[in-house]
Amino acid sequence: MKYLRDVTVVGAGKTPFGIFPDKDLRTLAVEAGQKALANARTDPGAIEAFYLGNFAGPEFTSQNHLAPYISTALGMKGIPSTRFEAACASSGAAFFHAFMGVASGIYDVVMVAGVEKMTCQPTARVTEILAGAGDCATEVKAGSTFPSLFAMIARRHMHDFGTKREHLSAVAVKNHENGALNPDAQMRKVITLEQAMNARPIAEPLNLYDCSLISDGAAAVVICAADRAREFTGKPVKVRGIAQASDFVALDRKPDITTFPAVRGAGQKAYEMAGIAAKDIEFAELHDCFTIAEIVAMEDLGFVERGRGGFFSFEGGTRRTGALPINASGGLKSKGHPVGATGVAQICDVVQQLRCEAGDRQLPRHGLGLAQNLGGSGASCVVTILERM
Amino acid sequence: MQTGTVYTETIVHLAPERFAADVPYQVIIVVLDSGGRITARVDGDRVSIGDHVVETENREGVPVFRKL
Repeated sequence: MKYLRDVTVVGAGKTPFGIFPDKDLRTLAVEAGQKALANARTDPGAIEAFYLGNFAGPEFTSQNHLAPYISTALGMKGIPSTRFEAACASSGAAFFHAFMGVASGIYDVVMVAGVEKMTCQPTARVTEILAGAGDCATEVKAGSTFPSLFAMIARRHMHDFGTKREHLSAVAVKNHENGALNPDAQMRKVITLEQAMNARPIAEPLNLYDCSLISDGAAAVVICAADRAREFTGKPVKVRGIAQASDFVALDRKPDITTFPAVRGAGQKAYEMAGIAAKDIEFAELHDCFTIAEIVAMEDLGFVERGRGGFFSFEGGTRRTGALPINASGGLKSKGHPVGATGVAQICDVVQQLRCEAGDRQLPRHGLGLAQNLGGSGASCVVTILERM
Repeated sequence: MQTGTVYTETIVHLAPERFAADVPYQVIIVVLDSGGRITARVDGDRVSIGDHVVETENREGVPVFRKL
C-alpha cells in the first residue's frame, strides 16, 4: 500500500427515505448536502471536489450530467464534480474515490453524496431499470429480473447449506424491528415471522418481504484530512480501512454463486489496511437488497463460517442485543433503498452509531463499525471500516 | 443439442412489461456438459437443482431447456 494520509468523516446528513412526489432528484440531493455541510459547521466554499453516487438518474428522470447539476445547486463553484455509477454500490464507489482524493493529498476537504429518485416511475418500469444492473445480453434477455438473480442465489444457498425459508424471514423481521425505531426509515412497522414467510412471491423462494423497497432519498458526507478534522467537528470519525473490488456482472460467470468474490476481496483488503480481523468489528451495516444478500455478506466478511449466516440470523445473533448487530438502522429492507444513496447512507448510519447519536437504536458496543455496499449480483463491492477518533 | 445439469433455478412472478405475459416462468442456470454455464428459460415441467436438461430451441437468442 502506497503512503496514504488519514481521512476523517466530519459531517453527515440524510433525507428521510420514502415516497416523495413533491421532491425531485436535485431537491433530495441538495437537502442531504446542506445537512452534511451544517453538520460539518461549514459552507460550500470549503469543498474542493464533489463526488456523486447515482445509479440511474437519466432513466428515472431524464436528467443526466448530475454531479455539476447538484454541486452548483449547493453553491459550490468551479470544483471537479463527477458522477460515479456501480449499480447499487454507486455511492460506495464515490466514497472510495473521494477517500483516495483526500488520502493521496490532492484535496483536503471534499463532499460525497448519493441520491436516487425512483418513485416517479411505475413498478414495471422500475423493474426494467433495475435489471440493467445485470447482464442485458444474456441473463436479462433470458428473463432474469434483479430479484430473480438473488432468488437463484438463495435457492442454491439453501441447497448447499440447508438455509431455510424462516432464516431469510428472520433477517426481514430483525431489520423491520430496527427500522421501526428509525425516524428516517421508509417502512417503520414491526412484522412477524409468519407475515414475512407468507408474503406474495416475487421470484421463488424470495417473496415481497425478502426484497428491499423502491424509494426516493439522498445522503451526503463531508470528509477531510485527519489533521484538519477539528476545524469541522468535535466528533470526527476515522476511515480505518476501505477497499473496492469487482467481479463479472453476469451471475452465470461465477463458479459458485453462494459467495461473492468482490465482497471477500474488498473485505480482506479493508481488514488489512485497518490492521484488524473480522472478529474485531463490533457492528455492521450490510447490503440487504434482499435478505439472502445479508446472509451471504456475513459469511463473505468472515463474521460467521460459510453456510452459517442463515442459522446465526435465525438464532438472533444479528439483532441489536446479539453478538454482532447487523443493520441497526433497519437495513435496506426497512430504511428503503434509493439505489444511488445507499452507500453513503450506510456510512452515515455507521457514523451515527460511532458518535453515539442513534437514540433508541444505540448499540452498546460502538467503537469499530463496518459498512458493506454491493452492486448488482456482486459485480461491485465497497467495504469501509470506521472508528471514532 | 446442448445438454447439462440444473445448477440453480427460480420462478419469476414479477417481470418487466416485455415478459409480463409469460409470468410465472422459470429461469435456470445450467452447467453445460460441454463446459461453461448458461442462463436459460424452461419449457414444460418445472425443473429442480440437479435435473438433467436438454436445449430444445433458441428463441431469438434465448436458450430454452426441457427436463430430460
